[in-house]
Amino acid sequence: MNNALVNSTVLRLENVSKIFNGSGRGTIGVERVSFEARTEELLLLLGPSGSGKTTLLSLAAGLLQPTSGLVQLFGKSIESYSAAELQDLRAHQVGFIFQTFLLIESLTVSENVEVVLRFTGKSRKEARSRAASLLEMFEIGHLAEEFPATLSQGEKQRVAIARAIANGAGLILADEPTGSLESKQGLEIIRLLRDYAKSDHGCVVVASHDLRLVECADRVLRMEDGRLRSSS
Amino acid sequence: MDTYAVRTLRSQPLRLALTIGGVGLCIVLMFFLLAVYRGVAEGSVEYVRRNKADLWILQRNVTNILRGSSLVSLSCRQTILGVPGVESASPVLLLLTTIKKEGRSRTVFLTGFEPSTGMGGPPRIAEGRTVGADNEIVLDRAFARKFKFRVGESVDLLGYSLKVVGISTGTNAFVIQYAFVTLASAQKVIGFPSIVSGFMISVKDKTRLGSIAGKIQEAFPGLAVYDQATFLENNIQEMKSGFLPLLYTVAAIGAVVLTAILSLLLSVNILERRKDFAILKTLGSPKRFLRRIVILQALLISSAASLVGIVFFFPLVSLIERLSPEISTKSSLGQILAVVVGVACLSLISSSISIQKLRKIYLLEVFR
Repeated sequence: MNNALVNSTVLRLENVSKIFNGSGRGTIGVERVSFEARTEELLLLLGPSGSGKTTLLSLAAGLLQPTSGLVQLFGKSIESYSAAELQDLRAHQVGFIFQTFLLIESLTVSENVEVVLRFTGKSRKEARSRAASLLEMFEIGHLAEEFPATLSQGEKQRVAIARAIANGAGLILADEPTGSLESKQGLEIIRLLRDYAKSDHGCVVVASHDLRLVECADRVLRMEDGRLRSSS
Repeated sequence: MDTYAVRTLRSQPLRLALTIGGVGLCIVLMFFLLAVYRGVAEGSVEYVRRNKADLWILQRNVTNILRGSSLVSLSCRQTILGVPGVESASPVLLLLTTIKKEGRSRTVFLTGFEPSTGMGGPPRIAEGRTVGADNEIVLDRAFARKFKFRVGESVDLLGYSLKVVGISTGTNAFVIQYAFVTLASAQKVIGFPSIVSGFMISVKDKTRLGSIAGKIQEAFPGLAVYDQATFLENNIQEMKSGFLPLLYTVAAIGAVVLTAILSLLLSVNILERRKDFAILKTLGSPKRFLRRIVILQALLISSAASLVGIVFFFPLVSLIERLSPEISTKSSLGQILAVVVGVACLSLISSSISIQKLRKIYLLEVFR
């Protein structure tokens, strides 16, 4: 982790709106949203389905461009990044965790982690070694050669977290990371993410409708109908 | 990503096997076309190549013996022999005719020559001996195999009974095969004892070839005089112009089918694994990583198919030659390598077509 990023703003949204015009009539994804996410912080975006959480994460990752407003990632406007720079940014600085894990079924657990390390130019050997230590850290080292289909939901999410932090990402974006897990497993996963934020100076933004996660978050932003309603 | 490329291919074994089989068949077709081409090329011009005349004399405007009728008076021979520097002038008579066995007619390219000089006779004898008398004939090996002629048997040449005394090779021109008789026998068949197709000339001093050719041409403005190299090249070009377009057309169809099969499989693979590609894109995969998967798959399939092609080609050729002996083939390592390299290039074209599908996989698909 870059020391320059300690206690600094990783993600900043200012009056961000996203309107989808796919069917000819504008559908509001998010409307005039402003917030910041900093290092060593787990920020929870809490809201029901359809409240715009996923749209917000997509905007934060540069997967979507805002209709209006400013999205800053690592101090730079997302619009100023070229497509190649955004790809490079996602490979090096942004980690993703999804509700359905989105592991690649035809790769082993270890290979699922290695693959993102290879994106950043690490050799096969380096990637394998780093993946092994990450899997050990998440107590799933013994599953390294297994395929995702043979894992439990909790194990799959641990692999997904290992993959997300493999490159020492400054920003982890987690979309309903506990949605497919039992409550105990869900809390374990959130604690792992929080530990990462604290110990590796990362910034974790979790989008969820699960109220039980509030106790683990440093800050909570409540969303409804594409707008931020409150923060705590 | 190499592992991913291999595993995703292996995950659909039947589809993979069918694709390798289909591409392999196209490769066999290409091997076969090249082998036939070389076989025909050799069979068509071997007669000219082996009969090392210094000069060939034919009727004017006739440039080759494969697709040209030349009629020259035998009486020219004395005048030609009178040209200073000419050592010998061997007449040869070439005509399409039929020979009969057990009541069935078979077409041959009958070649009458003078056994005393051997010029114009069979380039190679594989069995028996060459023609020595007017009642003898030498048949091409492919022709003999196809129609089950054997040395020692008799055949009917337009009412004349001839004994098969030998079997020749290098005399199969694919659509027609040479048969050799004495000049006198051939003249009997044509019914004009004073007509030949041309002369094969030997000269005493090869350094004077040009001036000798010029003098013959001067003496006979109605004849065409070629040196051996020119005449051989004329025949090769004639064979190519008649045969190569067909060969190229079939080979091109094979190449298009191969590219289409491969593109289809690669595209289906991409579309089926659309989510994987979207995940990889979202996680920050450089474009080259995704392209590499498709290219690697294309090269793996084409390599496996090439191997299948090589394994099946030789037994297949052997079977075809047994069933249709007139199809003579000739293969070499160079030919096989050329096809394998060509197929690798086609597989790269296929992958570049399929790679276009990657562009239409969007990052946001991971949230669906």
